[in-house]
Amino acid sequence: MSIVLQDKQASTREWLEENFQQTLTDHQQGTDHPHAGFRRNAFARLQSMDFPTRRDEDWKYTSVNRILITPFRNGSLSSVSAAELANCQIPGLETTRMVFVNGVWDQSLSDLDRVPEGLILQPVHQAMEDPAVRKWIESQTARPGGTGQNAFLPMNLAFAQSGLYLRVGRNIAVDKPLHFIYFNTSEDQPHFSHPQIFLHAERSSTVTLIEDHRALAGAGTCFTNAAAWVDLEANAQVHHYRMQQQNLETYQIHNTLVNQTRDSVYNSYVVDLGGRIIRNNLSVELAESNTETHFYGTYLANGEQHMDNQTFIDHAMPHCQSNELYKGILSDRARGVFNGKVLVRQDAQKTNAFQQNSSLVLSSGAVMDAKPQLEIYADDVKCSHGATIGHLDETSVFYLMSRGIPAPQARLLLQQAFLGEVIRNMHLEEMANYALELIAIKLNAVSQTIITS
Amino acid sequence: MLHIKDLQVSVEDQQILRGINLDVKPGEVHAIMGPNGSGKSTLANVLAGREEYEVTSGTVQFNQQDLLDMDVDERAHAGIFLAFQYPVEIPGVSTMNFLKSAINAQRTARGEAELNPMEMLKLLREKTKLLGMDESFLKRSLNEGFSGGEKKRNEMLQMALLEPKLAILDETDSGLDIDALKIVSDAVNQLRSPDRSFIIVTHYQRLLNYIVPDYVHVLYQGRIVKSGNKDLALQLEDQGYDWIKAEAEAALAQ
Repeated sequence: MSIVLQDKQASTREWLEENFQQTLTDHQQGTDHPHAGFRRNAFARLQSMDFPTRRDEDWKYTSVNRILITPFRNGSLSSVSAAELANCQIPGLETTRMVFVNGVWDQSLSDLDRVPEGLILQPVHQAMEDPAVRKWIESQTARPGGTGQNAFLPMNLAFAQSGLYLRVGRNIAVDKPLHFIYFNTSEDQPHFSHPQIFLHAERSSTVTLIEDHRALAGAGTCFTNAAAWVDLEANAQVHHYRMQQQNLETYQIHNTLVNQTRDSVYNSYVVDLGGRIIRNNLSVELAESNTETHFYGTYLANGEQHMDNQTFIDHAMPHCQSNELYKGILSDRARGVFNGKVLVRQDAQKTNAFQQNSSLVLSSGAVMDAKPQLEIYADDVKCSHGATIGHLDETSVFYLMSRGIPAPQARLLLQQAFLGEVIRNMHLEEMANYALELIAIKLNAVSQTIITS
Repeated sequence: MLHIKDLQVSVEDQQILRGINLDVKPGEVHAIMGPNGSGKSTLANVLAGREEYEVTSGTVQFNQQDLLDMDVDERAHAGIFLAFQYPVEIPGVSTMNFLKSAINAQRTARGEAELNPMEMLKLLREKTKLLGMDESFLKRSLNEGFSGGEKKRNEMLQMALLEPKLAILDETDSGLDIDALKIVSDAVNQLRSPDRSFIIVTHYQRLLNYIVPDYVHVLYQGRIVKSGNKDLALQLEDQGYDWIKAEAEAALAQ
């Protein structure tokens, strides 16, 4: 490692060290509390690791330097107005809400009295007092995940102020989606927060989780370092939504690590609209047979936005199906990255694995890097991957205009349709409509730059 | 209504139209025939405003406006409609959403109020029925996975909804079976009126048994080399294009 890099990371380590002592103090956890030990272990792991640089294969197109040079402070709770909260309502959808402000759980704004029956919902520090749960949590965090040099996972574990532990009981179908709203608000100094979810879906349970990351006006520079661990027991079904509407100064790194056992279904739906640098690591391990996995992702970047999706699907056992569809639109000087790894191990016969990434690049200054990787060691499988990068189809624009639709509207329609192909796979119609509406709002806002470029 | 004078058009530096002169008056139906590669489709596309075609000379006046100076959508607002030879498939845009957008865009451009959802639905139902189409087709993505006949019928539906002043049909009859052909010609005949004109580009005389044209023009090597009435189409059907080619080349040689 070069001296310059060492220096850079040394100053990062300094502000992290200060924050970590503060974190321990804030949570007043004695040295004998299991969570304190857990944090210390995570912090030790963080200290033993280098932060990723662009020399690391998995971070080749995304530099985290901008994030690391900002001396972030732990976030603290501040008030969110009723109007702001009302603004988060997903039209037509009744949900159970948990509200977090700058990484801290605001219980007064959360539906604590409406936690569905059969669902255990606890702060991680409380959950860890139960040795069995602690053991389960440790087994989750021991999983490698799909991305190398991922210092952000131990960072999340060391610093999370309000991690939540969720367990959906056997045969329980949680009918109302869980809506976790993470607000970033204005603070004196740039703050970082570490949304953290441990979701244990027991045998034959069903649950929908919506992560909703957003920044309020004036929030300034923030760093959201989120992580979710999802463990699906046999026959469980999890629908996992992530809607991201940060401001243009916010950095967000999101890690999702999923473990699927037999007959389970995990569906991920990602909509990235905001943020300055966004990096999603989504990794699933198919540990038993007959599982089904769908990754649906959309990204819509303009200005200087940078959006990077890394996915990893590990087919270890036979008769599993995975399907990935990521589509995005880039304009101005935006950058997009898609790095999709699919590993089909020798025992994973009869695997069906499909992956597709398509991007529209609408300006000469915008860049998309797509890197599908299929590694297959089994011989009786159906796998395919494809990546396309293109412009808006001018013949389609002409067709729409020849019917009297003005050029800007024609282009909007085509872009909405392009992303709509992903969105319409959402299992909740209300979420699909909501996502399409948010996409339309952003497309309208950026259409002027698209036309002139 | 439409005055084309000495229209010359190139595509990628290759001259396709070499001086077209054509007058279309309100209420008239003009058929344009000619062998492959004679420039028929180019003429249709240039009138609709397709960018790949470069007009190197000539003028086109449409209701006293300079058509060549207008954007594609402005031409549509002025009343030009092109039924595409190959209608474009657009996944993710429902036929319904597309038709609504087109109708309301044209109304807005004309300074009329947009139709409310009830009025729109009523109009769409009425016209789909007229074209013998099932309503479920409105929910499908525009032209995606449509059969050839369905695509052409969809073009006629758009024409019936948009009620243009000048409709240009670019080989709408090609590849249609007789039932679909009747639907297309019924749609045209129902729309025929003293103030609406049609230019029908076709390869086959058969269509003209159902849509009887006022004039038939033969395009050859980028020029109209012969004009007549519907009997000319019958003569072409009987004798092919060789005699026309011979005449045209003889005229050029002089």
